[in-house]
Amino acid sequence: MAGQSDPHQSLFSAEEVEFIAEDEMVEIIPNLRMDALNFICGDFGPFFPQIATQVPLWLAVALKKRGKCTIRPPQWMSVEKLTQVLEAERDSQRMFEQLPFHYVEISRLLFDHARDDIPDVYMVRSLIEDIRDVRFHKVETNLETLTERAFALKINNLSAMEVNIVRPFVGRALQAFYKHDSLELIPDQERVSDRRPQVANNATRRHLRR
Amino acid sequence: MGKFYDMDDIITDEEVVSIVFEKAACGVGIDPSSETDSVEVGSKVELPFWLAHELQLRQAVSMNIPTCFNQKTRLEIQADSACVDLRSRCPFFYEFGCKIAPLVGVRTIGPLLLSAFKSRYKEVLTKAHTAAFPAASKHLTILTKEETNLYEAAQSSMTAFKRWRMGGPRFQRASVLGRKRKSTD
Repeated sequence: MAGQSDPHQSLFSAEEVEFIAEDEMVEIIPNLRMDALNFICGDFGPFFPQIATQVPLWLAVALKKRGKCTIRPPQWMSVEKLTQVLEAERDSQRMFEQLPFHYVEISRLLFDHARDDIPDVYMVRSLIEDIRDVRFHKVETNLETLTERAFALKINNLSAMEVNIVRPFVGRALQAFYKHDSLELIPDQERVSDRRPQVANNATRRHLRR
Repeated sequence: MGKFYDMDDIITDEEVVSIVFEKAACGVGIDPSSETDSVEVGSKVELPFWLAHELQLRQAVSMNIPTCFNQKTRLEIQADSACVDLRSRCPFFYEFGCKIAPLVGVRTIGPLLLSAFKSRYKEVLTKAHTAAFPAASKHLTILTKEETNLYEAAQSSMTAFKRWRMGGPRFQRASVLGRKRKSTD
């Protein structure tokens, strides 16, 4: 859970990341008429039958469980788009494709609760799994290139769940590298040869994407 | 000072270092088999690091390089650091090295640690995230404490993610609620 004193655990558990992901908006098609719902986070509705409305994911799932709506899958979750993304991921070695920040959690929630609303659900599911595997493998390969000069790490287009998985490992690894690279351990003569001119100094940041 | 309560730090300080006494010491019973209670100048003794450190601050001893950083280990690390069994040499290889390095005159410990860590880190990375059976890997037995921390961090977050993906109840019943109370009458 968040804020635990045990430093071995990651800051957010997977369930918490999923909870945060539920704030994303999705489109639903209600099948009843209802007045506007007033929540602290905002007002949604009023709901008319067969008129599409934007609601947060948690509300959509709650309505779906009670049989009061059908969820329309988001734009990026079609077989064509996902195949495109998968091809692009496989082609490039260092770049990550632009995907919604919470795609893992949103897709899992929709598979669990709104399976019949997604066309070609098995295909979509296997595509997302493949995309996830390829991306994670890419993260791992790029992490191998961490050296002692890295004080910070920047990866573009990584999703929330993937970040959460590597967070404890990368944090510890960077700390360990920093500790071993401290000034008193490495004599000065060996440092000077590695120094680059200040103008083009990217030595302190390890970019995993050009 | 943040490491004062750190258990690993305290145990690291227990590692033995061989030192040479510069001044004679009276009334200390370091060697139980000697007749007198005092230590001569120039005698070689093995002391835990915390004691040796304090004595060196008072310039009463001079420290030698511990055995885990000797030439044999260096050659092994240069050959193939990923397979060197660092845990049997010294389970706190890196932390101990970081403490020893400013005190002993040799300046090469730092780069040695760094290069060893860099190459072993790659192994840890690949095995940690993808190993299906963590206990079955022989690789685990040769890691130092610090590397084991890294490994376990990755392992636990990976298993947590897999468990989440499998599904299951989102709310867990608190263990306190499960216990039935016995009625007292």
